[in-house]
Order: sequence, then structure tokens, then C-alpha cells
Amino acid sequence: MSTSQYDLVIIGSGPAGATTARFAAEQGLKVLLVDKRQELGAPIQCSGAVSRHALEEVGVAPEEEFIHEPIYGFGIYNEKGEKKTIDYRQLKAEEYGQEEGKKPLGYVVDRRRFDRYLMTQAERAGVEVWLKTEGLSYQPNNDGSCDVYLRRFNQAITARARVLVGADGLQSQVGKWANLRTHIKITELASCLQFIVDQVETDGLLEIITGHEWAPGGYAWVFPKGHGYAEIGLGVIPTMTDKNAQWHLDQFIKHSFFKERFRNSRILEIQGGGVPLASPLRTQYADNLILVGDAARHVNPITGGGIHTALSGGAIAGNFLADFLNQGRQPTAANLKAYQDGWLEEIGNKMWQLYEVKTDIFRTHDIRQRDALLFQTMSGYFSPHSEYKKI
Amino acid sequence: MSKKEPVIFDIGWNACINCGACVAICPKEAGFISAFDTIAVGRPCDIACLLCEDICPVSTITHKAA
Repeated sequence: MSTSQYDLVIIGSGPAGATTARFAAEQGLKVLLVDKRQELGAPIQCSGAVSRHALEEVGVAPEEEFIHEPIYGFGIYNEKGEKKTIDYRQLKAEEYGQEEGKKPLGYVVDRRRFDRYLMTQAERAGVEVWLKTEGLSYQPNNDGSCDVYLRRFNQAITARARVLVGADGLQSQVGKWANLRTHIKITELASCLQFIVDQVETDGLLEIITGHEWAPGGYAWVFPKGHGYAEIGLGVIPTMTDKNAQWHLDQFIKHSFFKERFRNSRILEIQGGGVPLASPLRTQYADNLILVGDAARHVNPITGGGIHTALSGGAIAGNFLADFLNQGRQPTAANLKAYQDGWLEEIGNKMWQLYEVKTDIFRTHDIRQRDALLFQTMSGYFSPHSEYKKI
Repeated sequence: MSKKEPVIFDIGWNACINCGACVAICPKEAGFISAFDTIAVGRPCDIACLLCEDICPVSTITHKAA
């Protein structure tokens, strides 16, 4: 067994972990980023939608390498198929569009390529990256450091760090190591399934289909996926249905108002995941440890979107840790609380407000009322005047 | 509340899509995970809440008494 020393050991190289690593390394910290997978981003558990603003905010150029398709707006449907179009090519024609000098609103990215790109950017900033490396546990030491126990290609390794960053996703084990209250309620975790399909037309919009009939507790979606492909998916809350997501997706494809549109669709890939429609974790820090991204439940509770919040959270964490450790402060839980306070101030408090909005919708027992509220909220959320559009 | 009897989970690997939702919902301590990043199989779960079965999008998790 060998021991190496770092300022940060980061477990999980998704958007949150890689961004934390890059920002910290750019400010002089010695960073080890580990991931247990052999191919980042896989298996895909995400639809891949992210705003252009989210990328710009953390200095990520929209490279062809990872973009499936640019996005220009939204189509929000109610349960009957009535549509509210929020197309920024029309709403802000001078700014958004395909023409030269105009930009997209966002992108659908290939998570395998995107995550690898972010990791590469981190590596180029000086981060040491180890794939096929699993985190096993951690132990704070009396001198203010901690030991992180890893297994890399079957070899046991102990890395000594000042701070361990848990960026290991919704399935986070790092939070459990520190006995943080990470458990999510079944009423707040959507069971999601999506198919990548051929022969379904799209028009540069993220289409969101609300209504208990199609996706109880969540919503369905049709996203452009580039090269003429599309993504059809949905998420359901298990306590609001006695059928699984697979059954609901089958119903949506075969029996919804889109059944003619989907008639010739052919499935090319099958993906799924758990998507939290929940509040952020109340405590995202412990001695020598912080959580970031999905692991801290930095996920939009209305949309379930997590890429933007992971990138923003990663930047906040990386900047905070660089300042904190460069000042020589002791990484006790009491001192690391400032990370969470800063995150709340920048984006977290708005996420808590969104959680309240979401909770009010699903507290409504009358299904028609609830459907109307969700449709109205989604339509308002994506409008140019939304106070939440930067989350 | 009566204590539930421990169970052992079985996963139909043919249908499993490796979505990780079962691990995300699992209230067990760290490490109750299989080599395929699902909840652990072949060893007892003493909580037996069965939330992993409920969240599975393709209903491929079942259990038997431990």
C-alpha cells in the first residue's frame, strides 16, 4: 500500500467533480480526481439538456465534440396535447437562431463525450485523473488531513487529502461515509426511462408533456438528439402509480396524442435513471468533506435538470476550496459550512424556492387541478421572464 | 411497528438497464452495492423496505426471505 498527498481528492468525474477539480487546480491546488468507471458518462442516466449560459458561466466552449444538437426553446404540452410554444427564435429573434451572429439557447449533449471533455479540461489544468478507481471509505486524522481509501485496478491505495469531495452522483456513498442524511424519499425520486429513437421529427425545441395520465408525478419529454434522432422519455413517482416507468412509456408512445408521430419510431438505445425532484441536502459538509452535484442533490426540483446545477456547484466548490485551503484554514465541519452558505446564496436558496413550488403542485389532490398547475408552472418556468431561468 | 424479516434481492440482469435508481433510493449503509452498481444481491437486507423494487423502471428486482 502506498500513500500520496493532495489538497483535494474528488470522487466522481461527472460535470460536478470535473468542474470542481478544474477550478481548484487552476488556483494552485494539487487535485486527484478518481472515477470507478472505464468510460465516463456511461451508462447514460440523463437526457443531456443544458443551457448555453450554464456552459459559458464555467468557461466551457460549446464544442462539436460533445454536442448532439442545439436547442432554441421549448414546447410545453398539457395532458390533451395543447401546446405552449416558447421559441426564442421568435421571442428574441435578434439574439437566437441558426443564422450567423446568432446563438442557440442551449444544447443536448452526449454525456459520454461531454463528461470526457470536462475531465480532459481538468487534466489540462493540472488535475491528476485516475479511472477504474473506486472510493472505499475515508478517515479524518488528528493533524487536520484525512485518508481516503481507494481501489485502483484491484490495488489498494491510500491518498492523503486536506478535503475529500464527494461528487459521486445520486447514488453517493461518500455522503454515507460521513453519516450525512442523504436518504431521498420515494415520493421525491422519479423513476425514469428513455429511448433514443430514429424516425421522430423534431424542431430544435425541448418538448415537455405534462399530465398525470402520461407521467404521474413527473412529465414526459421528446428531445432532439442530432442526426435525425430523438429521445422519448418520462419519469414517474412510484407512489402515484401502480405501473412502472416502462409501462407508462409504452402507453405514451402507443396511445398518446403523439402516437401518429411515433408510429415509425425505432429504438436505438435504452437508458434510465432516478431523477430527484427534491430539495438540496440540508447538510452538504462534514469534517474534511464536502458534497457537490447530484451527491448534494444540486438538482432542479421542477425540471429534474442537473447538469447546469452540477457545473455551477462545481465552480462554487472549486473556488471556495482554493480560497479556503490557500488561506491555510482547517477543514473542520464548522469551517466548511461556509461552502454551503456560499452555495445557498448563489443558487441554493432559489432551488429551495423551486422545491416549495414543486411541493405545492404535488400536494394538490385533484388531478385536473394538479395537471393545470404543473402545465402552468412549466410554461412559466421556461418563459423569458422567469425568475428561475438561470438555474 | 413490527420488524420486517430480512430479504435477499435477485436482479433479472437481462432487463436491468444499470440506471442506478435502486442504489439512489436505498437507505442501507454505504457499500450495499453489487459489482454492477445495483443494490447488493446474494446477501441479506435487514431493512427490507423494498423501495428498490418500487423505483426500478423495468421492475427487474425481486426478493426472497433471507
